[in-house]
Amino acid sequence: MTQTRPGPVQYAVLVLLAIAFLYPIWWAVSSSLKPAAEIIASPLSIGELTLDNYRAMFADVPIGTGFANTALVLVVKGAMTMFFCPLAGYAFAKYAFPGKNLLFGVVLLTLMLPTLVLIIPLLLEMSALGWVNTYQALILPGSVDAFSIFWMRQTIAAIPDELIDAGRVDGAGEFGIFARVVLPVIRPGLAALAVLTTMNIYNDFVWPVVAVNDTAHQTLQVVLSTLAQNVTGNRIGADFATVWGELLAAGSIALLPLLVIFVLLQRHFINGILAGSVKG
Amino acid sequence: MRSVRLSPYLFIAPFLLVFAAFGVYPLIYALQLSFMRWRGAGAARWVGLDNYLYLLTSPEFWASLGNSAVMWLLIVPIQIVAGLGGAVLLANAKLKLRGLFRVAFIAPFVTPLVAMAQVWIVVFDQDYGLINYALNLVGLPDVGWLTSTVWSKPTLALLFLWKTTGFAIIILLAGLQAVPGAVYEAAALDGASRWRQFWSITVPLVRRSMAFLVVVQTLAVFQMFAEPYVVTEGGPYGSTTTAGLYLYEHITASDLGTGAANSFLLVLLVFGLSLVSVRLLRPKDEVS
Repeated sequence: MTQTRPGPVQYAVLVLLAIAFLYPIWWAVSSSLKPAAEIIASPLSIGELTLDNYRAMFADVPIGTGFANTALVLVVKGAMTMFFCPLAGYAFAKYAFPGKNLLFGVVLLTLMLPTLVLIIPLLLEMSALGWVNTYQALILPGSVDAFSIFWMRQTIAAIPDELIDAGRVDGAGEFGIFARVVLPVIRPGLAALAVLTTMNIYNDFVWPVVAVNDTAHQTLQVVLSTLAQNVTGNRIGADFATVWGELLAAGSIALLPLLVIFVLLQRHFINGILAGSVKG
Repeated sequence: MRSVRLSPYLFIAPFLLVFAAFGVYPLIYALQLSFMRWRGAGAARWVGLDNYLYLLTSPEFWASLGNSAVMWLLIVPIQIVAGLGGAVLLANAKLKLRGLFRVAFIAPFVTPLVAMAQVWIVVFDQDYGLINYALNLVGLPDVGWLTSTVWSKPTLALLFLWKTTGFAIIILLAGLQAVPGAVYEAAALDGASRWRQFWSITVPLVRRSMAFLVVVQTLAVFQMFAEPYVVTEGGPYGSTTTAGLYLYEHITASDLGTGAANSFLLVLLVFGLSLVSVRLLRPKDEVS
């Protein structure tokens, strides 16, 4: 449109939209801080604040284990993505070598493969390897993913060849050029990749829920999901409110870390989301 | 120079290793498995196309596709319209607090789906939930949001819409901002009304972003799993057993051959749908 000053109607629509998007988060977090009985008795008002739901939740739910497992997977799998994907992207962007088109075709094909098709055979592969309920099952599949390679290739292709040749003249080895010339130049892209990778690993659910069925290896999301099943299982229980209180406490704790990262690094987040759309 | 010739292969090797071990191998294995009867233990038996025929004649299979198709209708058109509306509002350069609105819109996209699915259980509970509490306040009766076959799908669709419409807005906003302001100024000088400008400039220019969104969300809707798994467990009466959840049920039933066949049927369907939507939304002047 021609850029006329937005009127009150536009602002009203935007404010209503913003409330619709933020209210469920606000409601969950604020309700988790109310006495459990109040969540049902007066869901719209906030009176007394308490940490009782959190205390009960920490006592009942292995959420600490969930956080620790998610953190471990996040660090190892995230590091693999952050190192190997730019490396492969660099090879595709800046080298000419026999078989390059074929191999890049493989990357593009993998990009279009729905995760769902691999779930069953991957599970069988894990059980054949004896890897069910192990960290390697959570970490290795998808650790060097096609999307990140494709994205890094696009980012690195924009670096002028002169810069890379200059590094070569200075006597840097091929890996040295990657580490000392390419990586520093694509830092904003790497930041966006880091943020998006963190979000994907942290929120991943389908594979962890299939690959792991013991408490010791459950990731945070899997721990959360078993909590929900307790609720639906306890429909007629007397302490319905207690379960909800714990549920909201666990959910709030789970959503806060990413929300904080997002607010602090929103520019990188948005760059990451937009980079995703170039594959269209 | 030998290192130069060898290094690109070394750089790609980690990807190829992971892809071979956890992509190609399971894929071939799944294809083989889809022609076998195997219940997770004992000997597998070659059954030819039986698994596929079983699925194609199974009412449950078609019901799961039907559920996903209804979900698609409840989600994708609404999201495109709402996303475009939100993007047009945000694209205005004279808008104040734009950064704040943008944060608010994408915040749901960042939240863990499982956590928010649980919030949905609580908020939409028939007896004690927030929504029915609010309805009662204004004198309206309780609605079985998650317990009636009429409302279960819209309630889950709302969760999906809430979570991802901000993502749609950002994608479409980027498409809009790629349009130079001069184009609109010229159109305005030519006397084109704002509605006219919207239809003849804005919409064609964001077509590519729209096509991307439709493909991505079609994939996501037909693979939808966590929402019904956590919130409704596929019920009531199977009304939220989506294609993704139905596939998972083969795992819990240890009917892995059928599950593998189901995966491939689903992939074919999703590919087909993506192709159709790309073709329908392709700008008219583009041929390839």
